[in-house]
Amino acid sequence: MGGGSITTVSKNEFRKRDLFYVVPMWLLSLVLPNPVPHRKREFQKRDLIYLAILVVLPLLWRDFHFHHLMVLAGMNAISALGLSLFLGYTGQISLGHAAFFGAGAYTTALLTTQQGFPSLLAFIISAAVSASFAYVIGKPILKLKGYFLALATLGFGEIFLVIVRETPGLTGGVVGISGIPWFTFAGIVFDTYLKQYYLIWGVLIGLLIFSKNIVRSRMGRAFLAVSASEDAASTVGIPVAQTKLKAFVMSAAFAGFGGSLFASVMATASPESFSLNLSILIVMMVILGGMGNLYGPIAGAIFLTWLTDVLAGFQEYSLPLYGMIFILLLIFFPEGIGTRLGFRIVYLISYWAKKRRREKGKIE
Amino acid sequence: MTSWAYIPQLLITGVTIGAIYALVAIGFVTIARASQIINFAQGEFVMLGGVITFVLLNKGFLPYPVAALLAVLIVILIGFSLHRLVIHPLRKASLLIILMATLGASFFMSSTSNLVFGSLPKSLPPFSGSEAFHVWGISILPQSLWVFLATSLLLILLYLLSHRTFIGKAMEASSTDPMGADLVGISRDLMLLMAFGVSAGVGAIAGILITPIFYTSYNSGTLLGLKGFVAAVLGGWGKPSGAILGGFVLGILESAGIAFIPSGYKDGVAFGILLLILYFRPKGILGSPFVDSRRW
Repeated sequence: MGGGSITTVSKNEFRKRDLFYVVPMWLLSLVLPNPVPHRKREFQKRDLIYLAILVVLPLLWRDFHFHHLMVLAGMNAISALGLSLFLGYTGQISLGHAAFFGAGAYTTALLTTQQGFPSLLAFIISAAVSASFAYVIGKPILKLKGYFLALATLGFGEIFLVIVRETPGLTGGVVGISGIPWFTFAGIVFDTYLKQYYLIWGVLIGLLIFSKNIVRSRMGRAFLAVSASEDAASTVGIPVAQTKLKAFVMSAAFAGFGGSLFASVMATASPESFSLNLSILIVMMVILGGMGNLYGPIAGAIFLTWLTDVLAGFQEYSLPLYGMIFILLLIFFPEGIGTRLGFRIVYLISYWAKKRRREKGKIE
Repeated sequence: MTSWAYIPQLLITGVTIGAIYALVAIGFVTIARASQIINFAQGEFVMLGGVITFVLLNKGFLPYPVAALLAVLIVILIGFSLHRLVIHPLRKASLLIILMATLGASFFMSSTSNLVFGSLPKSLPPFSGSEAFHVWGISILPQSLWVFLATSLLLILLYLLSHRTFIGKAMEASSTDPMGADLVGISRDLMLLMAFGVSAGVGAIAGILITPIFYTSYNSGTLLGLKGFVAAVLGGWGKPSGAILGGFVLGILESAGIAFIPSGYKDGVAFGILLLILYFRPKGILGSPFVDSRRW
């Protein structure tokens, strides 16, 4: 386990603070997936267990707040899953995913309220719109190395917000668009949290299977190669810029799906929902879930959505606390919370054993 | 066209705000040169400079110069502690993690400022007189002159610091050749700490200069920081001269833009410029030592 990971394995030095979280880590390791890419079998028994939990849990725990939270988490998870393809697998940074999310939401909002499009069609068009934005931005920028894409997407995010705020005729300005009809498909209106839960997690599972296949495909291998070394990738004949562009467009399309669902589930779209904070949140979900992993971002999305909700209870202290927890999580889990947990625990136990033996030796 | 008549007036505004952008950009560049880190909390130093001076002046009843000096010192301490508490523990992490951590720190600072000092926009009295004087039909606020003067003085000081003092030379060395600096015994960590102090101080001074003209509230730092960053990229990422040039160019373009496009789009101008510069000349106006703009 763990040792053969493709992600750079840092030195597993023992740190004293590891002692403090060995128990929660062990508990987490029972639940969280260990993000090691290149599993031999794509779908394991574990996946069936996850699926069963997802299907049964909302029926057993009939709490509206929980359902609502999971709906939010699902929408975040869709964007985070898309970003994972781009950030985790291809190793590029985007700080503007909120704009793609927002583009999806506004497209759905406009098409359903003003043009009377059916939800499903609007859903697909939203993803296409987000993807085409990504294509236009990414095409020139992705030829460059380094951090330019992060900057360009950041700029695009801000421009998107300015345009949305300043065209009240089309987008409703600061107030936004409300009264977006519920998502309807095959005669079912998704109007309760429970129905929305199944809608969103159903879409998420579909996208997850799609991403799993992508990652296993030639293109997915190219993503990993680009992430490891752009020079080496180009040497073996991978078109680097094109590969990065594909990953970027794909992740923007995911964000568009998420945004479209956001619009038709929340029934509103306003610019505050799509600010830089959301972009940062999505990136955090991918980082905390573990890069180069598809389950991680989903776990990260659930965790951070839940954290946001818990912290909202602290009222005016919630935002400073939030910032502090962000930084602490980054300091203590820079490779993600779930990454090589089992491995770390084995290491810790062996360390303790060695330490005790050494101490005995001293006494004798 | 009436809008042309406003151009000289807007130019003055542009130079004033451009000076502030230049100072913020210098802050970015100082840290980037020491370690390649993009410190997105830079804008919060500006905000804190203005807000803390306001609080010391109005709640602490200190005389203006003392309050300003004290605020700069406090913000420098905040800069040091940002390095010690956030950047230093992450020194082995990847740049993405550090970038996210600075964003988290920026979020923390602005929301803490909201909590401690309140969310109302704050304004300081101008340094000398609020009567605008008129030259050739252009009205100039005395504070604009102060901003320009103080910025020039600060830039000269920074130049002297980096070229004429031992510590400046050490910082310069660790940015041009990190390994060589290590070999001759310059602590890169210490240099980064100094860089954080310098850029926090510069940011705070920018905040104190700008607050009498534009209001400063807890959330104005983020946008100012991002624009300062755009300025640094525009002039040439990693070059102090580029940062200054970029700041002034951005300030002038932005306020000249008001004459031709609706004022609501003002904030979009900077980011539009960012996209254009990244499309057509990613190394910026003056070129950049960090940017490998090789195309595939």
